[in-house]
Amino acid sequence: MKEKKKMTPREKNEAIWGLAFVAPTMIGLIVLNFYPAINTVYQSFCKTGDFGKGNTFVGLANYSKAFADPEIWQSLINTVKYAIIEVPLGVVIALLLAVFLNGKIKGVSIFRTIFFLPMVCAPAAVAMVWKWLYNQQFGLFNNILHTNIAWISDPKIAWISVGVIGVWSIIGYNMVLFISGLKEIPGDYYEAASIDGATGINQFFNITVPLLSPTTFFIVQTRVIGALTIFDLMFMVMDKTNAALPKVQSTVYVFYKYTFDQGNKGYGAAIVMILVAFIMVVTVIMQRAEKRFVFYN
Amino acid sequence: MKMKKVMALALAGVMALSIAACGGGSSASTSSGSGSADAGSADAGSAASGALTINIWDANQQAGIQEICNDWTALGNPEVKVEVIDWDNYWTLLEAGASGGQLADVFWMHSDYAQIYMENDILLDLTDYIAKDGVDMSIYYPDIAAIYTRSDGKIFALPKDHDTIALLYNKALFDQAGVAYPTDEWSYQDMYEAAKAITEGTPDDVYGYALNTSNDQDGWYNYIYSYGGNVVNTEKTDTALDSAESKAAMEQVRLMLTVATPQAIVAESGTDSLFQSGKVAMITQGSWMINSFYTAENSKDYAWAEIPYFDRNGDGACQKDERWTCYNGLGWAAAANTANPDAAASLIEYLCSKDAQIKQAQLGVTMAGIPGISEDFANAFEGMDVSAFTKVEENGTLYARPGTRNSGKWQTPMKQAGYFLDAWQAPENPQAMSDACDKVAKLIRDCIAEEQ
Repeated sequence: MKEKKKMTPREKNEAIWGLAFVAPTMIGLIVLNFYPAINTVYQSFCKTGDFGKGNTFVGLANYSKAFADPEIWQSLINTVKYAIIEVPLGVVIALLLAVFLNGKIKGVSIFRTIFFLPMVCAPAAVAMVWKWLYNQQFGLFNNILHTNIAWISDPKIAWISVGVIGVWSIIGYNMVLFISGLKEIPGDYYEAASIDGATGINQFFNITVPLLSPTTFFIVQTRVIGALTIFDLMFMVMDKTNAALPKVQSTVYVFYKYTFDQGNKGYGAAIVMILVAFIMVVTVIMQRAEKRFVFYN
Repeated sequence: MKMKKVMALALAGVMALSIAACGGGSSASTSSGSGSADAGSADAGSAASGALTINIWDANQQAGIQEICNDWTALGNPEVKVEVIDWDNYWTLLEAGASGGQLADVFWMHSDYAQIYMENDILLDLTDYIAKDGVDMSIYYPDIAAIYTRSDGKIFALPKDHDTIALLYNKALFDQAGVAYPTDEWSYQDMYEAAKAITEGTPDDVYGYALNTSNDQDGWYNYIYSYGGNVVNTEKTDTALDSAESKAAMEQVRLMLTVATPQAIVAESGTDSLFQSGKVAMITQGSWMINSFYTAENSKDYAWAEIPYFDRNGDGACQKDERWTCYNGLGWAAAANTANPDAAASLIEYLCSKDAQIKQAQLGVTMAGIPGISEDFANAFEGMDVSAFTKVEENGTLYARPGTRNSGKWQTPMKQAGYFLDAWQAPENPQAMSDACDKVAKLIRDCIAEEQ
């Protein structure tokens, strides 16, 4: 058994410098992330007063009210529906684009830039433009296709319309990550496969997809968490009096409504804690899936 | 190697420049995302000169108010910067500022929220300043001054303005359908018949009337009070939304909805946009919106008429208590923790002084918080007759905008699914509207009970 060694002055010096460099990030994390998170958990057990004064501890009252509220369960379903559109479509389309843009074609960097541009646009600007594209009377879609579809007011299809905006915004980001993952696959595999007579599609499914699985897993995991916390799209694209809103509003939207519009921060905190628990469950399931589906060399 | 050095220096220089530009840029921006933070940084950046920041939510009024503030500055006072945060985000940001301690110096206060802000000492107490400077509170509309006076008699805001509602119509569409223009003797039934004729006499996507659940103060509230009901009683203890009178009023609203633009379209575009695009012939709007229609492309086709009345006693003429319009008045308030309380109080007193109020009316900003200045306002819009807003004060009855201590709890849900939105989506069904009235009445009563 090793006895605990005292640090040499040099090691101490290095340790102090190490802490000094890490300190800004740590302080920022603690003050802006950890402390608010713990405060939120505390507030979820309180009936909060105006302007943050006078919180009274009420135990699990907020949680029991939240569990009994059908609006919150519907919002969870809406959020999952949004994730079901954004994540698979975003991954598949981005993967195809990445494969095509990985080859030697003319102007490949121009294409990559174009596909990445949606990420550079502010989410509010994206939402405003899509909102008017989707407008039933004056929107571009209805006027070009000569249809009269209520893209964002029909409860049956509004969630798909919002999902499409989400897919559009995220394709560029996923694609860039896939391209970097593709570059790591040695070309030898493809050469050997084409010598053995494998077609392009065979190569794709038997070489590209398995070797890309670490990247794919990372993208799926981060995008699932990102999709489950979606808020700005619904908030900006759909008016408060939109009839389709109950079938599209996400859990974070409901949290915003109770916390900021109605000033009931305790209830809002409980709602967001439920979402956090849900996301944790989903993440655990994905970690289990990782062991089965992801191939690391 | 030399090239690398040059590039590195150039990049570092660009980075430094962009950070400085960002810092300068953000303090001048009016984006809602960092409203109170901007106010804070603007104060910090100009604390030496003691400049004041003002927050308002109506971009239409920004230019006029800035001009009046510049007059105040010219009297030897600090600079004033007017920032606009749109209505949907104004209260969220104000509350965030109040909780976090970083508010603008002077800002608008609204009847919906006045009580909460006053009770929690967020606002600067103006009572002593008013006494010291000899401000005569009797010149203001008493109801509006009362909104901003706390139960213990302390005054936290001075009345800035008042507004009324009138009927806006598009003469071109009336001509197209061959319907006579609205008059000041119109009843709600006359309005219905005209709307029906226009909806039927114009192309498919043009309607005679448009109304969303969110057009409460400027829309369906006025029906309810004209018919004898109320949304919240004056003591703020109960609602009469499920009374026979209110339900009769909402039944008239339902009738209007059968010939009005479908709610789905109104929710997406808004009544104002639809009107200015020539898709709607009539809407009711408030005096704070006049400028937006005065400066619109087709403003020569637009005209205002007095808000219709409901003939309660059936005598075919309008008595004063048959024509009701909602009126509201904003207040100028200051933050209790402002760095310049004296300057802030002085600015508020100036903005609400008779001279500044006259100028505010003359610039067409809004109607004054002081009675008797209506003429100046009416003359501010050359070529557009806005006397409908001032005539209703003699020909009709004004009721204060209904609110409770925490109005946000019921004002937004009542416009959404499960409440009035269901009735708006089914205008052919009278029962839907009646049920909605019952549900909203229950919602308001629950919220009032919670506030006790």
